[in-house]
Amino acid sequence: MRRADPPRFIMRFLKWFCKPEYHADIEGDLLEIYDRRVAELGRSQANLRLYKDVILLCRPGILRSATFDQPLANNGMFKSYFVMGWRNLWKSKLYSTLNVLGLTFGMVCFLLIGLYVYDELNFDTQHQKGHRIYRVITHEKNPNNEATTVAAAGYMLAEEAPQALPEVEMTTRMQRSGRSNLIDPENPVHVQETVTVADENFLMVFDFPVLEGDRRNALKEPNTIVITEDLAMRIFGRKDVINKYVQFDYSQTPLKITAVLKDHPQNSSFSFTSVMSIATWLNDEDFKREVQSDWASTGFTVFALLRPNANPDSVSRKITRLVHANATLEPGAILSHSMQPLKDIHLKSAGIADGARNSNVDSIPQGNPVYITVFSFTAIFVLLIAGINYTNLTTARASSRLKEIGVRKAIGAVRGNLVKQFLVESLITTVIAFFFSVLIVALLLPVFNDFVHKKFELFTSVGFQFWSAAVALIIAIGLLSGGYAAILLSRFNPVSLLKGLKLKSGGDFSVRKALVVLQFTISTVMIIGTIVLFMQVRFLNDSELGFDKDLMVVIDVNVAKARSNFEWVKNEMSRVSAVKHVSATSRVPGEWKSIPRIKLKKEGSVRELQTAYTIAADRDFLSTYEIELLKGRNFQNDTDTMSVIINEAAAGILGITDVSDEVMIPQVARNQFFTPIYDDANASFNPRVVGIVKDFHFQSLRAKIEPLILTYHSNPIFPIDYYSVKIHPHNIQATLDKLKAIMVVNDEHEPFEYHFLDDQLALFYIEDQRSQTILGWVAIASVVIACLGLFGLATYSAEQRLKEIGMRKVLGASMLSIMALLSKDFVKLVLIACCIAFPVAWLGASRWLQEYAYHIDIEWWIFALAGVIATGIALLTVSYQAIKAAVVNPVKILRSE
Amino acid sequence: MKRIQLGEFEEIVLLTVGILHGNAFGVTIKDEIEQRLDREVAIGALQVTLRRLESKGFLKSKQGDTNEARRGRPKLFFEITAYGKKALDYSKESRDELWKALPKLVLKLK
Repeated sequence: MRRADPPRFIMRFLKWFCKPEYHADIEGDLLEIYDRRVAELGRSQANLRLYKDVILLCRPGILRSATFDQPLANNGMFKSYFVMGWRNLWKSKLYSTLNVLGLTFGMVCFLLIGLYVYDELNFDTQHQKGHRIYRVITHEKNPNNEATTVAAAGYMLAEEAPQALPEVEMTTRMQRSGRSNLIDPENPVHVQETVTVADENFLMVFDFPVLEGDRRNALKEPNTIVITEDLAMRIFGRKDVINKYVQFDYSQTPLKITAVLKDHPQNSSFSFTSVMSIATWLNDEDFKREVQSDWASTGFTVFALLRPNANPDSVSRKITRLVHANATLEPGAILSHSMQPLKDIHLKSAGIADGARNSNVDSIPQGNPVYITVFSFTAIFVLLIAGINYTNLTTARASSRLKEIGVRKAIGAVRGNLVKQFLVESLITTVIAFFFSVLIVALLLPVFNDFVHKKFELFTSVGFQFWSAAVALIIAIGLLSGGYAAILLSRFNPVSLLKGLKLKSGGDFSVRKALVVLQFTISTVMIIGTIVLFMQVRFLNDSELGFDKDLMVVIDVNVAKARSNFEWVKNEMSRVSAVKHVSATSRVPGEWKSIPRIKLKKEGSVRELQTAYTIAADRDFLSTYEIELLKGRNFQNDTDTMSVIINEAAAGILGITDVSDEVMIPQVARNQFFTPIYDDANASFNPRVVGIVKDFHFQSLRAKIEPLILTYHSNPIFPIDYYSVKIHPHNIQATLDKLKAIMVVNDEHEPFEYHFLDDQLALFYIEDQRSQTILGWVAIASVVIACLGLFGLATYSAEQRLKEIGMRKVLGASMLSIMALLSKDFVKLVLIACCIAFPVAWLGASRWLQEYAYHIDIEWWIFALAGVIATGIALLTVSYQAIKAAVVNPVKILRSE
Repeated sequence: MKRIQLGEFEEIVLLTVGILHGNAFGVTIKDEIEQRLDREVAIGALQVTLRRLESKGFLKSKQGDTNEARRGRPKLFFEITAYGKKALDYSKESRDELWKALPKLVLKLK
């Protein structure tokens, strides 16, 4: 048996305080007793008693006396470092202010971005078993070799996996099936909510905090529902609503509230406000039968809680095998599963379709890992620039402290003392700057929150971890930026210092130059990045989409009657004086929900079936959206049910050059999979092409314009779902009220949901817009910081060269030539920085623009502008000092000596 | 003999060192006191007392061997000096003196 060792630190502590001559045998006694106790009481008890014994040993007879040969004797020196550091900072107020200011700017940027990045990186970490929770991802390939990856799986997979696989402790299924009004039957207030169902394990796998109710049984029974406190407040106006009943509009069954959950924190991928028990649906025999053979559908979002140490890869293989053993797949189809860790859902879900992609619900908000990386880098770079400032100013001012260093050395300071002295100075500066920056962050936080749509609080929303990391990093910056100066300045030979020799500024000056170049390179790259982002976002928002998006109100059809009654609704709406056009469609251009796709080919063509998107529209669609008709005609009346209008892209892939061709549409994909349109798989929908429209951007500009088929509003594929109303700009609210009055006539429960299309389109690029603003501010901050440094250096170099300037003036130099003399050096550095920055920025920007199918070209003027900005600002900063030096009266300078 | 003042715990420790004759070091002294007197002895208290007694000259110490349980740390054996013996005698005598002086009546009070 291995012997248990006592905790080492406590033995060290003993050695530290105990008189050395007593130490050995006391330790021996302690160890002997310790071993005995380990055998009798176990290790932790033995440790505890050991601590007690050691602490009780701290008494006068045993404690060593504090003698001067001990390492702690430097206390006095440290105090002196602080005093001297403080005095030095106080003495040169200008430079100290520049240093503190620069560091504060840098830290503010760093902390704000840090808060944001930290929050994004810590999504869904509030669940205790989070590291063992995985989302089951389905990878499918249908016989036509079309691959899809979706974050969903079959019902039975979740049912059987825990029994079949020992590694799976528990699974839970969740489905977001659509939206409906959730009401309190006694006192109906209409609240449109996402319908979420989940099984009874849902609250066991995840730790959504339960305010009231029993998490184990809350979702067991049929007709039960769990709601969040926010929803409880909205429906009932209070939170103690357990055992009360609510119901969805679409069903008559009252649902009993079995638990009230706390609202989700901001860093949660889950946004449901209510969860209904899946048992409610299992009451329905059809549903029950259907799900009991459901192995390979992608109807449910399945989360699996694995046992500790289970290997997710092998579990995914086993699950795939399990599904293959039970499911009957289409011949030629390929299906496999993988496990996505819970913490990856927020940032690493690119290319994975949402499990609820086909329902009428908002998809889970995703983070953009590219921006997170960019932000992290910029945050660190800004801090770096601020650190460099400090180093530069301190080393530049070295010669004014040479005497001090010389005297210190002469009276016995060794190099270590001087290094420590400089480090303490830089630490004082950093701590002051940190203090200010926390203050500024606290002030800026409300504005910042508004802007990034988060709810940060200074200390509560990010844990102790974040702040300790921030403090550690900032101390590191303090040490690093002070460290170079400390090592450099403490190196000199005291004799030459005291003899009054000037510092030979060979080596260190070139380092300083390099650092200035680095600062301006980073700043210039950020300036270019901001300009490119700005241009691209403007391009996205302003580019010609091929349809009219302004002043377009898009009203959702939420009740059945608003759909069937659409002729009347349109009529009533067009009678409102402020309404220009009204159109009813299934989807709208710039759609934020998924657009159904169809498979089709030209009648008689031997080519493969092609895929196209489809929107159902009425005859007013083209005029409302001002979409240009290239060939043929618009829909006219109800005889057009067998007509379609196609866009240029569709005409291209179908090989249609003229109207009146017939197309054959056998399949439709309202969800991930193409299924026959009619129950009879051999039948197809064969409409005639009556018109071709100009391509318009019906999707985000990230994607290319896809083929699009406009079908007549009554068609077998998809019913109408929206009214698009083009209105006059004056008195919009009154117009909206009138529109609402019309919709409410259909059904008094109509929630009247509407969007302005241009706002909706801007949402596509909101992330870009936000990044542009953040990057813009950071670029400004970095330029300001770099200029503060430059200002300091210029001030200093002007001071150093005062005598030279005086001589030159006496000998007849003009003011301009002196200014040029002083500015030249710095401008040269900035220009070198630009030369390095341009290719770097060009590379980065073009990589980023590749993400967009439609993007701006990077033009030379962007670089020129950035160069001019960087040089201009640098010149302005330097010239203030240059002018000051140039106008000074030479007599004043040269009088002495 | 004014100098020879033994505290209660000092006396106990001194006696125990005597009892253990030749095998008195930290652990055995602690064990012995705990066993005989049924009281908890803190190592800190014991060590301080031992050192104090040594510095007063009642005890002398010498380094001894070590064993596996001590991981190479030496044992420090204590022994009573003649002076220590005298101190014990003095202590006992003075107690006896006092006992004798105690009226019988007092002892009957309970």
